[in-house]
Amino acid sequence: MSAATVGWYAFAFLVFPGFLFSLAGGLLASWVDRKVSARVQWRVGPPLGQPLFDVVKLLGKETIVPEGANRLVFLVAPLVGLAAATVVSTILWMANLFAVSFVGDLIVVVYLFILPPVSVMIGGFASGNPLAATGASREMKLILAYELPFLICLAVAIIRSDLSIHLVDIAARPVAGSVSGLLAFLVSLLCVQAKLGFTPFDVAEAETEIMGGVYIEYSGAPLAVFKLTQAMLLIALPVFMATVFLGGMHFSGWGILWAILKYLLVVVLVILIKNTNPRVRIDQAVGFFWKYMTPVGVLAAALALAGRAFGIPWL
Amino acid sequence: MADVLAGLRESLGGRILATESRSPRQTYVSVSCSDIPDAARCLFERLGGRLATVTGLDERDGIELLYHFCFDAERIVLTVKTKVAKPDPRISSITPFLPGAEWIEREIHDLLGVRFDGHPRPERLILADDWPEGVYPLRKDGRP
Amino acid sequence: MSWKMWALKKSPWVFHVNTGACNNCDIEVLELLTPRFDVERFGIRLVGTPRHADALVVTGGVTRQAAPRLKEVYRQTPKPCVVFAIGACACSMGIFKEGYHMAGPVDKVIREEDPNAIIMYIPGCPPKPEAMILGVVKALSLL
Repeated sequence: MSAATVGWYAFAFLVFPGFLFSLAGGLLASWVDRKVSARVQWRVGPPLGQPLFDVVKLLGKETIVPEGANRLVFLVAPLVGLAAATVVSTILWMANLFAVSFVGDLIVVVYLFILPPVSVMIGGFASGNPLAATGASREMKLILAYELPFLICLAVAIIRSDLSIHLVDIAARPVAGSVSGLLAFLVSLLCVQAKLGFTPFDVAEAETEIMGGVYIEYSGAPLAVFKLTQAMLLIALPVFMATVFLGGMHFSGWGILWAILKYLLVVVLVILIKNTNPRVRIDQAVGFFWKYMTPVGVLAAALALAGRAFGIPWL
Repeated sequence: MADVLAGLRESLGGRILATESRSPRQTYVSVSCSDIPDAARCLFERLGGRLATVTGLDERDGIELLYHFCFDAERIVLTVKTKVAKPDPRISSITPFLPGAEWIEREIHDLLGVRFDGHPRPERLILADDWPEGVYPLRKDGRP
Repeated sequence: MSWKMWALKKSPWVFHVNTGACNNCDIEVLELLTPRFDVERFGIRLVGTPRHADALVVTGGVTRQAAPRLKEVYRQTPKPCVVFAIGACACSMGIFKEGYHMAGPVDKVIREEDPNAIIMYIPGCPPKPEAMILGVVKALSLL
């Protein structure tokens, strides 16, 4: 492998469209989230640079590791989440911008998306604090709950794209333009809400109940890394939804406008659901995903299979 | 008011030392400190009164305790008062048959130093954990 | 002024501590954090744990029982941090000056823990939310 290739890979992962680009986009997206939430509540909201100021301030504070905590895991867990978010963001943007894709990259993306919530959970368990353990156990149950319908909906997208697990192939067709695809889009939207840790599914970081939950003992730079991971997920997950369900983001000519609109559609839906709902209990959340979302997902998968078997394109 | 007083007189008889009516709805009855449990039992169990609170104050020759009983149906307050002699003021607790008095007796013990014999949990209630023993803030000479 | 202080002024996250207040100041602080007064414009956010906090909003004169606990919360807050003493009781013990149960005003107790602490005073009984916003903004501009 030549030095130029290594250099190109490093550039892709670290600057564009990797770490720095996703970071900038993620901070902008989280500003959009806070501003829209503020407007919904009839107030002004923070200035444009606020998420960046938050991160810079956190980097300037001292890092306190509690006595009863597992020092290594406590400090490394945020970095695992950040690394996973960086890689998945790079893969998604490469698939959308440069049509760089490999067989099975959909599976890789799904696995990588599980890592940030798991890193949050591990960090919570390593904190040595009973409230953090409560938050972490809730996060664990939430992961078990929403991964099932999420994967079923991805199966719907795979079926509708002629059984291809290539991101580029799936991105070529608007899966949500069919009945089963629309159902799958709506179900996975709610799963994404839980994955992002937004109300109504933010039981793991319930400020008023368990004083910050999983993040209770984090301060300074590790907390900044967690915030960065959240910001990067806020740009990676809607892009993933747009790629898989809304027909991909093609950045050529008028396609740029369409691409941004698709991304904004998903983000605004997520924000509106966040602002209009109260937080649910963990047993209500698990029940919601297993008793209601999973059957709808299975129905969507059945409709997709039926459409494929009987040649009905809109099913 | 009259029938409550009559009921009390029936129980205590001559042990009532004095009666004073401040207003149509409020009467103060003085007894000696050993008769407090009987008076409280009569007012609470027989006549159906409700213990509102117990107040206390340090009058240099003793600590005066006032037990305020409310009769909500007749809309009157009957107060039974007694004076406990210093030093080492002690009185029988009414908590065994009137559980609502548990905390107020602990508070009076903390602030005025009155010992309530027979109290099920005579522990510190409202003073700080590191407050010195034997210093009772609401006594006239009790500032640390 | 160091970049840490600059960033702290741009995004002060607050944690609320009640060290024996009558709750009047607490009600006003909670009103301050509602959407009506919108302190998120200044980057102020209420956090649930002192470990995330930059500013401790302390109400109430410090009682003898609460003094070691206030010091513990101050220790748990990562430095650099600022302490806001809200209300007459926090600034100077107020009407409880002669009380037998008081350990001192907030600055005396915090200075026992850290003589170099940055403490800002917002008097009032209770201070109106507008007065608190004015006080916080003025105080942060002095840093």
